[in-house]
Amino acid sequence: MSTVHNTTEYQPVFVGKVMDELQTVLQRYPNKQAALLPALWIAQREHGWISDLIMAEVAEVLGLTPAYVKGVVTFYTMYHQHPVGKNFVQVCTTSPCNICGAEDVLKALLSHTGAGDAGATSPDGKWTIVEVECLGACGFATPILINDDFIESVTPERVAELVRKYR
Amino acid sequence: MGFPHKSHPKETVVLSQYFGDAEARTYKGWVKRGGYEALAQALKMEPNAVTDIVKESGLRGRGGAGFPTGLKWTFMPKEKKKTHYLCVNADESEPGTFKDREIMRWTPHALLEGTAIAAHAIRAEIAYIYIRGEFTEPWTIMSRALEEANAAGVFGGIKVYLHRGAGAYICGEETALMNSIEGKRGNPRIKPPFPAAAGLFGLPTTINNVETLAAVPHIIKRGAAWYKGLCLSNPKSTGTKLFSVCGHVQRPGNYELTMGFPLKALLYDICGGPPQGRTLKACIPGGSSVPILTREETEATLLDYEGVVATGSMLGSGGVIVFDDSADMVYQIMRLAKFYAHESCAQCTQCREGTAWTTKIMERILAGQGKTKDLDLLLDLSENMTGKTICVLSDSCAAPIVSGIKKFRGEFEAYLAGKRQPVMVG
Amino acid sequence: MADGMINLTIDGAPVSVPPGTLVIEAAKQAGVLVPHYCYHPGLPVAGVCRMCLVEIEKAPKLAIACATTVTEGMVVKTQTAPAKDARQGVLEFLLINHPLDCPICDQAGECELQDFVFQEGRARTRYGEFAKRFNPVEDFGPDVLYVPNRCILCTRCVRFMEDVAKEPVLNVSERGDRAFIGIHPEARLDHPWAGNVVDLCPVGSLLSKDFLHKARAWELDKTASICTGCSQGCNITLDTRDEVVVRVRPRPNLEVNRYFICDHGRMHYKWMNRGDRIEAPLVRRDGELKATDWDEALARVQAILRGASGKAVALVSAGASSEALALVKRLLSGFSWTGAFQIVMGEEAPLAGVPNLALRAERAPNAKGAENLGYTREYTQALAAATTAAVVLVLDDADCAVETNGALIYLGTVLGDNAACRRADVILPITNVAEEEGTFTNRDGRDQRYDQAKPAPGMAQPAAWILGELISAMGLAGAPR
Repeated sequence: MSTVHNTTEYQPVFVGKVMDELQTVLQRYPNKQAALLPALWIAQREHGWISDLIMAEVAEVLGLTPAYVKGVVTFYTMYHQHPVGKNFVQVCTTSPCNICGAEDVLKALLSHTGAGDAGATSPDGKWTIVEVECLGACGFATPILINDDFIESVTPERVAELVRKYR
Repeated sequence: MGFPHKSHPKETVVLSQYFGDAEARTYKGWVKRGGYEALAQALKMEPNAVTDIVKESGLRGRGGAGFPTGLKWTFMPKEKKKTHYLCVNADESEPGTFKDREIMRWTPHALLEGTAIAAHAIRAEIAYIYIRGEFTEPWTIMSRALEEANAAGVFGGIKVYLHRGAGAYICGEETALMNSIEGKRGNPRIKPPFPAAAGLFGLPTTINNVETLAAVPHIIKRGAAWYKGLCLSNPKSTGTKLFSVCGHVQRPGNYELTMGFPLKALLYDICGGPPQGRTLKACIPGGSSVPILTREETEATLLDYEGVVATGSMLGSGGVIVFDDSADMVYQIMRLAKFYAHESCAQCTQCREGTAWTTKIMERILAGQGKTKDLDLLLDLSENMTGKTICVLSDSCAAPIVSGIKKFRGEFEAYLAGKRQPVMVG
Repeated sequence: MADGMINLTIDGAPVSVPPGTLVIEAAKQAGVLVPHYCYHPGLPVAGVCRMCLVEIEKAPKLAIACATTVTEGMVVKTQTAPAKDARQGVLEFLLINHPLDCPICDQAGECELQDFVFQEGRARTRYGEFAKRFNPVEDFGPDVLYVPNRCILCTRCVRFMEDVAKEPVLNVSERGDRAFIGIHPEARLDHPWAGNVVDLCPVGSLLSKDFLHKARAWELDKTASICTGCSQGCNITLDTRDEVVVRVRPRPNLEVNRYFICDHGRMHYKWMNRGDRIEAPLVRRDGELKATDWDEALARVQAILRGASGKAVALVSAGASSEALALVKRLLSGFSWTGAFQIVMGEEAPLAGVPNLALRAERAPNAKGAENLGYTREYTQALAAATTAAVVLVLDDADCAVETNGALIYLGTVLGDNAACRRADVILPITNVAEEEGTFTNRDGRDQRYDQAKPAPGMAQPAAWILGELISAMGLAGAPR
């Protein structure tokens, strides 16, 4: 039985204070298009992820086409094209961290959070764990990002405590 | 000070002097430590005079290419007719490299000061500092520092803005970075035109790495001769360089060394060598894009632009990745190939298809299903991926493959011969 | 060698080209086609396929011919081992994920991937048993399908929409080997000039629904023609298969349409294949139209013209050739003559990135030619004048609501059940644009020839031939024009 259907109308992101914020950003650049990455960051902060409709709104606001915006969104890995868990965790598993045990950190995170597979969201909606390439903190293996918190030197042993803290 | 370890006596501490010193992050703290004196001095000078000092100092780009900084600045149009831009490359994403992050975390004002001096030298009215999206902490620190510096009005007429990346290694390539600021996919551009002629927004642009610019205030303040004197080997490589050491060493971290310092001393004396009971097997001395060195080569290497070339690799960004005898080189080379396959922008055929194909072959070898001819195939693909594309991303994928097969062929052959336990990947 | 020209050699052949010329274009002048995919002279240079790698003496590495500007004394070699190896490498990379479905691909036979692989590719793949990338076919727009598996990411389509049509509805999505040509789900590739992406696609990745599985490229006969969709006069090729026009494609003309045609023109060919054609001359006998031969039909027209005097009205199509229009005027030179045409108007649709190129509001190819010959747009007045004229001649104007007390002669391709021209005294079957050769004058006054693409049905003849026969039979050849 499928009774869940979305009847709510699209709520624009760029209104009021958020629009004012974008206007400030626009002043830094000689054209509107250059504000695309900042605008997408704002949209993601407000909405959690970048839907096709948000892309269309950003396009409208910046005088671009939705397809153009989508091409850009899909280029950059940090824009979510799907909803993600409350805690979005990025684990570096590139070579330097890899040889220091990054894959074990990833496994520990997947099992402690119940997310199961990398890229999937845990059934309670709280965790999405993804494997990412180099986070640029190789001397602090293994670095992870939980939302905007950059956490260094994570070991499998530290995972349980981190999961408790963010749950 | 030093971070995450106290400065070692063998280091030459210039850029890293205040690493770990939280007070140096603030404008007041920075000024107390002599900050912004170089900028004030530079702003009183003719732009060309500033460039001449930097030229004379022998400073070369610290982002990887090692191009003489002062010379680069002279490429900007002599007659100023249009807006000039400065781009600051803080998109540090090269595996093994984490020095710019430390500069921004601890000495944000050093970068801002260097940025403003460079902007003055190239007569740029606007500077964008492009910080990779994952660097949340440096972003916050830089934002605060920028606010303070603006409030103090230290920049003269120069406007400095931060621009946040969003997850793309390739945006560290200079023209890709410009495209990214322009709100485009981070595709490298074909050259010519070079940025000094048509860069950001099609206007004359210079782009410099964070570490390069952080060194500039010191050069202005202490003079070209002082900087040039910081040299242990080849006079073409001067000054200090931050080396990020990671992987199998006892004390990973950033260490600041005079150019020409022996790599062996860095790894053993400063970083404590490999973990107890292990021995050094290999080292990638300049970020993942440069050829791998064997233990013997590593121990014979002097750390400057020429010294690393002499032993068969490149200084690159100074990201030193250390592998001990526990490392599976085949697996790690696969990881590097996978990195490049993930980061390829998709423009050039060789890179788009070649990085992915290379990764598949590496995975097949690891799975115990490799074929004898796979090594020749990998080398041939690498040849096709080298020197034929817009940027060097596919060359970078080929470097560890070619050097890895050449130097660690036995490990590959062990998988091919079924003498190693297969590893399932992906 | 002309002053100010750059001299270089390409594969040993000397050429002189203007400064700023790209090596790939200079090579064409030397008779050398450097293999390429992303380069197209009508689009901004992308330099991404890396197929046009050539050796240039003294250069440290291979260079792409599409983004290298000629310099004096440059020595270009396209056939050296490093250049050929590099291109073979590109072809191999392009093929690893490209399906070998040429037998069911519309592009086969005119596919640049097929051609260059045949020319200089490897005999066998080394990709082995790895699975090829797979993505389902996507419906991009009214006439365009995207087959991502065949795509080689040359980005010609993206650049066309972005830089030529100035409506970027296509993008490159994702990156690395996951990349594909994308579209926003809320948008359609329905720009009036969108169909060009199908022509521009060097492989069978963008397909025309209209042409889908209709013919194999090698079965097509190609004829140079001029588009009849509007007054722009775009140069086109009519592709015919078994004497049926099955496709219209642009024929490059830098001064008229560059490399492009609009979708209206592209689809404006089906009428050329109409089956309900007039196939024999018809004359009115005992109040009824009867089929006859040309001799009788022409004799009847002569008799009518010789027996009449005073006012003559010609109601013509602005799609008739200038030759026919001129001869109508000559034929009626003994009368007090009025000629007029009516023209269907539509919406103007410019191609933003090309100056002076648009689907024009005037939807006929030869209004300018007609005007130059003295035909007017005062069609209503001409229709009114026709009622009292001694002779009315209707040329290829099937829907003409003519009424006359005089004689009515109709030269046409079709005759509707309720057509006013059914009341004609003589009906002469003529060829359409695909079945004859002739000249149109476009809106800018440019005279352009079109060739015959297929045979005429039945006894139909070009209007110019018919009129010529009449003029010479009546001794009007020397009459003032």
